[in-house]
Amino acid sequence: MRLLRRFLIQVGSKYRPEDLLSINNKRFIEPVDASLPRDAMTYNGLYLGFNRKWFIPSSLLLQKLAKEEETKKAYVDRDAAWFFVVGRDIFEENVQRFKGDVKLGKYCLVMYGEGCIGYGRYETSGNLRVIKNMFDIGDFLRRE
Amino acid sequence: MSREDFIELYQSLGATVTGDEVTPKTLRLNPLATDESTLIETLTAQGVELEKIPFLDHGYRVISSPFSLGSSIEYLLGHYFLQETASQLPAQALSPSSEDAVLDMASAPGGKTTQMAAYMGNGGSITAVDVNRRRLYALENNLERMGVRNTAVYNMDSLDLPDEPMFTKVLLDAPCSGNYVTDSRWFGKRKKAHIQHNFMVQRKLLAKAVSLLETGGALLYATCSLEPEENELNVRWLLENHDVKLEDIDAPGSPGVTEIFGDQLDESIKKCRRLWPNDMGTQGFFLAKAVKL
Repeated sequence: MRLLRRFLIQVGSKYRPEDLLSINNKRFIEPVDASLPRDAMTYNGLYLGFNRKWFIPSSLLLQKLAKEEETKKAYVDRDAAWFFVVGRDIFEENVQRFKGDVKLGKYCLVMYGEGCIGYGRYETSGNLRVIKNMFDIGDFLRRE
Repeated sequence: MSREDFIELYQSLGATVTGDEVTPKTLRLNPLATDESTLIETLTAQGVELEKIPFLDHGYRVISSPFSLGSSIEYLLGHYFLQETASQLPAQALSPSSEDAVLDMASAPGGKTTQMAAYMGNGGSITAVDVNRRRLYALENNLERMGVRNTAVYNMDSLDLPDEPMFTKVLLDAPCSGNYVTDSRWFGKRKKAHIQHNFMVQRKLLAKAVSLLETGGALLYATCSLEPEENELNVRWLLENHDVKLEDIDAPGSPGVTEIFGDQLDESIKKCRRLWPNDMGTQGFFLAKAVKL
């Protein structure tokens, strides 16, 4: 809960889910069915993400946060989005626009159109400013 | 059985298959994540050529694509699912709504589960069960990618589910012998013993499915097998041993075969649908829809 809350604050969200369901270190809300044996359950309802050293958000959570007005966002074009989903950082010059109070050292969602493709930290790298890739949805391909 | 034996069998059931049919690449757009016109416009602008499949709600044939559709940004955002034409029919025929409690008995890797969730608008509930933990990882990834929020997943054998009528709809996309269209080595490895083993397992699953259905609830039974033992003969067994009746299915293909190995089957079995690979450009497929009395 602590790591999830920290992540939500970092990206500027006011969303505070309660009554989390934990299954194998994964966090869910709004479970839909619990009629079968609990020890066989591997997934239930809205999957939010899981804890590692920090909270790794699910794509479901990212898309939910993308719809919030308050969340901090960096919008990128298709080429930058491609780089990002293969795990690369994004140079500031490839950011089309920021939305919200995105400052150095702080976090933001990375947006391609209406879809959130991950999140990162706005920071300096040598003489350059970049959005450092913290998580991207190319993870779906890397998991397989 | 040799390739010639299988082809001869299929021809005796009324098909004109050659054994060389292929199925084109197809995708299903995901209304939970995007609207169709936006996605078509986006993919078309990137050089992807698509053609709507007239009998599917959200299915498109991929005529050509300059990149792999299994790794695009839109794919990662869950805007579409790569799903063969015929395998889009079971969920469409069952057509669950947000009022339903649905059981998906052999759910991994989740093409049909995510499709049902889309029909349900993420309402109601889906209980997705599969015995294979490794395949469930793919299902869970697909639920997340496709924006599904109304599903609980259980790693267990569907045959171990309690015999309680808990569901308004059941999808049994049964483990089966498959067909030669999606497996180029199919003729070389398929034996009569596999088919006999599979139809026995399928009958157990069918019986379990009926026990889990509420009265008036609907069961959609599907296989990607062309073998009559796994299809019409299993449906005959279902009708003879359980209080169900068949319903018409709004899907292309041919009626279920009612004359098999010299036996005359109940005429109602014509309500089933058989997709021969040479008919519709799909893999081999079979569908039956039964209502519990």
